[in-house]
Amino acid sequence: MSEPDRSSLPIRREPFAGVANKTLDGSTPDWNLIGHPTPPDGAPNVLLVLIDDAGFGNPSTFGGPIQTPNYTRIAAEGLRYNRFHVTALCSPTRAALLTGRNNHAVGFGSVGEFAGGFPGYSASLPRDCAPLPRILRDNGYSTSAFGKWHLTPDGQQGPAGPFDRWPNGWGFDYFYGFLAGDSGQWDPCLIENQKVIGTPEGFYDEEDPYYFPDAMADRAIEWLHGVRAQDADKPFFLYFSTGCSHAPHHVAQAWADRYRGAFDQGWDRLREETFARQKELGVVPAEAELTPRDDAFPAWEDVPEQLKAFYARQMEVYAGFSENADHNVGRVLDAIDELGELDDTVVIWIWGDNGASMEGTVTGSFNEMTMQNGIPLTDEMQLQLAERFGGMDKWGAQIMDPHYGAAWAWAGNTPFKWGKQVGSHLGGTRNPMVVRWPERITDAGALRSQFGHVIDVAPTILELAGIPQPETVDGIEQEPMHGTSFAATLAAADAPEFRTQQYFETIGNRGMYKDGWWLAMKTERIPWVVTPDALKPYAPGVWDPDAGPAELYYLPDDFTQAHDLAAEHPDKVQELKDLFWTEAERYKVLPLLATLSTFFGILPPIDRQTTFEFRGDVQNVLSGMIPRIYNHSYAISADLVVPEGGAEGVIVAESDHLGGFTLYVKDGKLTHTYSMMGVFVFKQVAEEDLPTGEITVRMEFAADEAKPATGGEVTLFIDDRPVGKGRMDHTVPIRFSAYAGMDIGRDNGGVVDLAYEDRKPFAFTGTVKKVVFDIKPHLSDQDELDIHAEAHRGHAAHALSG
Amino acid sequence: MAKDPTDVLIGGYLSSKAAHEDYEAVLNCGADVMGAVVVSKDLEGNLSVEQTDHMVKEGAEGLAAVGFAVGLFAPPLLAATAIGAVVGAGAGKVLHKKSGSKIEEQAGETIPLGGAGLIVAYKHANADTIEPSVTRAIKKVVGEAEGRHVEALKGALADAQRKMTEEGA
Repeated sequence: MSEPDRSSLPIRREPFAGVANKTLDGSTPDWNLIGHPTPPDGAPNVLLVLIDDAGFGNPSTFGGPIQTPNYTRIAAEGLRYNRFHVTALCSPTRAALLTGRNNHAVGFGSVGEFAGGFPGYSASLPRDCAPLPRILRDNGYSTSAFGKWHLTPDGQQGPAGPFDRWPNGWGFDYFYGFLAGDSGQWDPCLIENQKVIGTPEGFYDEEDPYYFPDAMADRAIEWLHGVRAQDADKPFFLYFSTGCSHAPHHVAQAWADRYRGAFDQGWDRLREETFARQKELGVVPAEAELTPRDDAFPAWEDVPEQLKAFYARQMEVYAGFSENADHNVGRVLDAIDELGELDDTVVIWIWGDNGASMEGTVTGSFNEMTMQNGIPLTDEMQLQLAERFGGMDKWGAQIMDPHYGAAWAWAGNTPFKWGKQVGSHLGGTRNPMVVRWPERITDAGALRSQFGHVIDVAPTILELAGIPQPETVDGIEQEPMHGTSFAATLAAADAPEFRTQQYFETIGNRGMYKDGWWLAMKTERIPWVVTPDALKPYAPGVWDPDAGPAELYYLPDDFTQAHDLAAEHPDKVQELKDLFWTEAERYKVLPLLATLSTFFGILPPIDRQTTFEFRGDVQNVLSGMIPRIYNHSYAISADLVVPEGGAEGVIVAESDHLGGFTLYVKDGKLTHTYSMMGVFVFKQVAEEDLPTGEITVRMEFAADEAKPATGGEVTLFIDDRPVGKGRMDHTVPIRFSAYAGMDIGRDNGGVVDLAYEDRKPFAFTGTVKKVVFDIKPHLSDQDELDIHAEAHRGHAAHALSG
Repeated sequence: MAKDPTDVLIGGYLSSKAAHEDYEAVLNCGADVMGAVVVSKDLEGNLSVEQTDHMVKEGAEGLAAVGFAVGLFAPPLLAATAIGAVVGAGAGKVLHKKSGSKIEEQAGETIPLGGAGLIVAYKHANADTIEPSVTRAIKKVVGEAEGRHVEALKGALADAQRKMTEEGA
């Protein structure tokens, strides 16, 4: 067969080369008809690994305190890249990685949850930007993705799709993982291909509980074995995108205990220790300087003595969680090695997608969603809430959804300033990368210091595979990839710089790199603060982006951005400012702060649907897809069939005890429990038993006022007869959970009311015919508009932690 | 008129463990305590009450009309949302030797699920020793009153409750 034309995908089938007569007499087959496209000869396997929410100074491979033996092994057999860059936010980095194009240009100026009304923020991949897995698949690769996805808009994660925005639609033959920005590692709401499969059965196995990182590796290995059992030669592209080290930091205590006492010295000292090791390893130049601590982070010496153990344990858990990720990637590597294919596999392993995350705020949190719901808690409150759920030894258990304090993230980004969300500085944009492929790399264990960016990965993989970028896909002319292959650096340490210019933008924080110069334009807002006062300076008509602070660094001489040269080079500052605007327009970055547009009154249309009906046994409705009962009066009614002898179990439940609601029957009593992020829990119990037969039960919440987190009165009804009541002083204003789903007739995963935890999922023993949510509009249109605005501001705030 | 006023400290907590740590710290601080009681409610609504013997003794001797209230700090939700403190029931309930059920009855209404409260009564002269030993309260107020024994205790408690309400609002 001749080499196919790969410039147009799908590859066209060659014309029938046989003979088809009226009968088989004289007919000759063309067996190529049943073949399939194959990659160019010698095309290697590709293992692409992306760790989440981690920093340059985390893995021991780059001098960090977290033991990463597998990462170090791959680095020793391959190359370390110490000037590799990402976008400072989850979805944007993933979009850039998988498309080879700048993130705004493919609609991902922000995260998947925030699908805005501007081209750079639509969270919807343009069809003229076919992604890498699609290109590889159409060229004959087996493709798969495991773990975190985060590239599907929030409201499109159900059985109605559209599925071109799910992993299969991006070109992955197989997907096992979660669509959201994060997930519990013990109780994920799983997706397999185009189906929400929900809570894994192993969650209920107390002897050998399910653990997502283990399952990711298991499934990846199983997939590899399956592919090889069918086809000994077909190359694979395996994208292994860990939920680690994003919150919730879930890991078995034994992993965390490996680090017991390892962080008692605090974050300031930890940075110094890490920096010294980085210099010893040579991943940071000898002349580099450690950047100072910003006042946004407390000094360790100012932390009250009685709280130091609380903070230290947060980092111990994070470290154990991260080491476990290294362990599980190692299992996949071992499996490839056992197949005898490790040397035929290009391994690209990026440790972090946006620097380490500071979204735990200064205190850290027992529940990552407290920040996103705007609940300011002191460190003592956080500690007490952790104690409520079992204490610090349970910090990594399913009972909590923890996130560490911001200063640990800053230390994880050593030697740089800031971290996630801060696209202007290296703490949020420079992450370690390791590449292994003996076919090209002849100086194993060496360092590469060319300036690179995540958009360069896809073009590199295509070049190594010998596959051209397609000119058309499905008949649509393609936007060329913006990245540049760094394949030449594999063989040559002195390969020329392949990227001399790159813009960065995340939530108004901007960076412009050109020929070694970096202009850093950070908004003065602290990344984890989204209060009205903090946002006021950025309102339309108020904010002048060019008038804000601008720092200038010359990175060849200043690896860490320690010396601001702006005052000495005003012409360079202006040149780079002008260049940023040019690039911003070219790549659809504008308008700046589109991510925060809802805070400034630019709102999507109000959803006029107020009634939502769930029939039968609907389960695992993802957390961004549930009826938005927040800040409204609402009613939940259920038509039940209760057999003689009674029934019990859950009628409807959303999420878990760290934020959610459940309507259930226990001991014959209709009960409603509402968890306001685990901080406050409200419960109302009917005063009479549930009757038998066909009945309707209902809970009504009458909000006090049209305000976020409004309190209100709850009344329980059986067949329109009030049977119980109570008050909820505070309600959840924005979102119950980042990942846990809603179920009819049971409470999958972690339960909302721990009173039935020992009977989970506590399926209803009668019949739930249907459940109806009736979200009552507020009395005035203005109230409704105000609440709509608040809801979307919260949505944007949630999006910031993607 | 008593020369040494009576103080009542009320502390609110988000965990039972924290409340009990402060309770123990108060009892071991070296100063005389007229009485102390810690009440906690788990997430299922089960109450536990622990109190000093002398609190009971004082009650047995006629320490009538000591109200029970626990102010629990309620964090402000969002900058634009003011939410008042979750405060206890009004004063005027009786705490006496058989007061366990009374405490539970009132605490059942006043303490949120998962919360806890601490009440400590002491002579003001001991305040410098006792107050600093309460280190973990999310919200802590001290009421003060002069007068005869029971009258002072009632007054101090009422003062503390008022402060808890006002400061929590």
